[in-house]
Amino acid sequence: MAVEERERQKDALQEVTLPVAGMTCAACVRKVEKALKGLPGVQDATVNLSAGKAGVVFDPAACAVADMEKVIEDIGYEVPASRLNLLVLGMTPGHCDIVIGNALRALPGVRAVTINPATDTVSVEYLESAVSAAAIKKTVRSLGYDVSEKGEGEDAMDRERQLRQAEVRRQLINMLVSWPLGAIVMLGTFSDYRPLSEFLPSFMNNKILLFALTTPLVIGPGRQFFVNSWNGLRRGLTDMNLLYATGIGAAYLIAVINTFFPDAGFGGERATFFEAAALLVAFIVLGRYLEAVTRGRTSQAIRNLMKLRPKRATVIRDGRETEVPADEVEIGDVCLVRPGESVPVDGVVLEGYSAVDESMVTGESIPVEKRDGDEVTGGTLNKTGAFRFRATRVGAGTALSQIIKLVEEAQTTKAPIQALADKVAGHFILGVHALALAVFLFWFFAGFGLWFTEDTRLVLTPYKLEDLGVFGLALLISVTVLVISCPCAVGLATPAAMMAGTGKGAEFGILFKGADAVEATARVRVVVLDKTGTLTKGEPSVTDVLAAPNPPSVGRGPSPGITADEVLRLAAAAEKNSEHPLGEAIVRGAQQRGLDVPPAERFGSIPGHGVEATVEGREVLLGNRKLMAERGIDVSALIAEAERLENEGKTVMFVAASPSVILSREGGGTQAAEGAGSDAGHSAPQLAGVVAVADTIKDTSARAIGELKRLGLRVAMMTGDNRRTADAIARQLGIGRVLAEVPPQDKAAEVRKLQDEGQTVAMVGDGVNDAPALAQANVGMAIGSGTDVAKETGHVILIRDDILDVVAAVQVARATMRLVKQNLFWAFGYNAAAIPLGAGLLYPFFSQVVSPELAALLMATSSLSVTMNTLRMRGYRPPIKRGPSAPSPERVEREREPLLEAGS
Amino acid sequence: MRLDAKDAARLSAAVYTSIAMLAALAFFLVTLLTGDYSWVARIGGAVWVFGLSMIILMPTVTPWIRRRLGG
Repeated sequence: MAVEERERQKDALQEVTLPVAGMTCAACVRKVEKALKGLPGVQDATVNLSAGKAGVVFDPAACAVADMEKVIEDIGYEVPASRLNLLVLGMTPGHCDIVIGNALRALPGVRAVTINPATDTVSVEYLESAVSAAAIKKTVRSLGYDVSEKGEGEDAMDRERQLRQAEVRRQLINMLVSWPLGAIVMLGTFSDYRPLSEFLPSFMNNKILLFALTTPLVIGPGRQFFVNSWNGLRRGLTDMNLLYATGIGAAYLIAVINTFFPDAGFGGERATFFEAAALLVAFIVLGRYLEAVTRGRTSQAIRNLMKLRPKRATVIRDGRETEVPADEVEIGDVCLVRPGESVPVDGVVLEGYSAVDESMVTGESIPVEKRDGDEVTGGTLNKTGAFRFRATRVGAGTALSQIIKLVEEAQTTKAPIQALADKVAGHFILGVHALALAVFLFWFFAGFGLWFTEDTRLVLTPYKLEDLGVFGLALLISVTVLVISCPCAVGLATPAAMMAGTGKGAEFGILFKGADAVEATARVRVVVLDKTGTLTKGEPSVTDVLAAPNPPSVGRGPSPGITADEVLRLAAAAEKNSEHPLGEAIVRGAQQRGLDVPPAERFGSIPGHGVEATVEGREVLLGNRKLMAERGIDVSALIAEAERLENEGKTVMFVAASPSVILSREGGGTQAAEGAGSDAGHSAPQLAGVVAVADTIKDTSARAIGELKRLGLRVAMMTGDNRRTADAIARQLGIGRVLAEVPPQDKAAEVRKLQDEGQTVAMVGDGVNDAPALAQANVGMAIGSGTDVAKETGHVILIRDDILDVVAAVQVARATMRLVKQNLFWAFGYNAAAIPLGAGLLYPFFSQVVSPELAALLMATSSLSVTMNTLRMRGYRPPIKRGPSAPSPERVEREREPLLEAGS
Repeated sequence: MRLDAKDAARLSAAVYTSIAMLAALAFFLVTLLTGDYSWVARIGGAVWVFGLSMIILMPTVTPWIRRRLGG
């Protein structure tokens, strides 16, 4: 029973992604995660700081989305909701508003519904991650009302941007308040010292004035730290705010005591640390501001993708063109797209011809021609002609929506390195308070007595602290430790880099399914490539055609010889009715060479051997050596060549034809053939030549293998083909390790063998056929998924069918991990170096202590370093992709205008 | 013994406050016994020790009690 219950719960589990605003550091992440996990029914919660999102797996029977919102808000953060204003026609007061209200409130994720029948307005506050605007509209429509969105409304991207801008604005205002005030307080504090004393009025050093200037700073911009840390503490949770609050609070308190009770033993009037409290607030707010800016910038890539979502669509309904919101297009609708317009949803072209720029979705820089039967992708830009298409995927099912979802999900996951950093940062805060206590006790009971002198100064200031007592010195150093140890940049280091990296990958059609996929890709040492379809084109094509050197004597007259084209023409004619892939390849090869392939008059398949046909009244045989031997045809003239081709991994087919056929082409075409027809048609076929067919290597395969090797990776090829064919392909590509004759079901086992050798393995293959091997590999790369990314297995999805994207994926992953490590160095390295200084290491030698405000400056520098370093990723292009890039949404807009004008 | 969330929070508060007060008291007594400290230093130091001890103990004791006694 218990097992059944567990299974039921497992089946019933749902996942929701909630936006969370107000998080600033790794400790905030832990705090929110802890609070969510504490809710009954919540199985798992993962919070991403940079994305500002919490992914929650929960049992809806035990927990509601509203409970999650409440607990998040209880601990001091916000769950911003979206607003949808609908124009609902036909409502009557007293009934319709109740019906609509009840129906909407029953939707999960709907927070509030305000209905005004007088203005036909329904305003819905909802969580975008739990319910879509389309679902809300559909619900109202299902009740029998006409619904349309009032105005354009705000989409998720706008709201997210507004939210971020609001945070940036809030911190900017805090900065504008705290910096001028902090600067005045600092100048006032040091106004007694030269050269400031020469041009600053003496009243600026008035302690009451400094108190009056500092107090609004502490209770204004500094208030957030006290409120947030208290909210956490009362639930047993700590975060960076606590460090700030204790630091600012202690500095301010000492200053107030020394101002109003100068004989209390805290250093007296000469040690009023108002400037410490003021500058602490200023520097911490600067750090907050930089973090807010960074978070906004690193999610730029996903916003760019979101911007591509078309807003309007022209749909043909009842024979008329009707413009509707793109999210209201339904499957089966016929849409019209003019030059310069975006394709509104995914579909299949019904009529028309155009070139479509798909670079924004696939990374392919050259516009792709579209005609009847071709697939088009929503969000791509129609360049030249107009066309109509039938919608096949709409709303959340479109390729663009799937890609956005995939990238968003990837950005809410955590790389192992990030989880470790978060854990360390989370415990760090308690550790810092414990260290601050230990440092206080040390300086109180031992340090002061051992080393205190009247020359005591703050580092980089002329400020003498000769009046500082034992408590004042111990407290000053203890507060400095609290501030200087703050690992606020740690929380930003990894997620910001991961967001930048996954977004950058998406720009080039490389979709990492999670931060762990990025980390694993960067660590890959062996790349196993599936042969067919990955390294090769996956369909056979004619590679060699050889004519027999001594064609048989033919009918009447001398032997005129035969050309390679004639051999291929005969072979193609014989295969014209064949459905065998090799036959199709021969027909395609003849057509590509511009040969006129006549129809076969009689066609017969000889299973396992080849085909026989009558072409232009002559008998033609096409097949293997065995067929030729059975028919008594001598192939010795081409046997050496045939073996050479076979050793190159090609499939060789012999072509034999009755003599008159050969004569017919060489002796003047049709007339000769007709003339010879009656008696020569029954002559025995003789060897005319050979046609070699092989699965050809893609143009970029050799370069990609070379690049992978240059990246220090070992490359292996895996195929179900025979050893000889596999070796031949591998030789051409320079691949050393070949895993041949591996049936599909054994591919995963081969990958496991490589892993057992201690290798980190990436498997590159078809996401459907190679799914088990992709799943087994440390990194499964599904190549050539096209735009149906949702169906793909694997950890990395390469939208385009280009093996060079494997190289690009490794390069992006490595660049991202490099960024993560650099960021962590700047964040943790700074702490490691600064804590001993803050704890008074220099004091015994120089009688100088680091002031709290200098500690805050160092801390802000750490955040600044991480911010600047992360922003470098914005201009990054993987070396293999240096060339024309996917256009920015701004460029798309620019290009759209003239096209629209031309179209109209 | 199982406690509900409120009782667990109350018990936690009692435990960490008591320990922090004990730490502050210990600090105060040591200052009385070991040196010639001013009353401001003794009392101020005890307050600082109490504050830091509370900050350290609140997030450690609360989850520990919840884990052990439910709630």
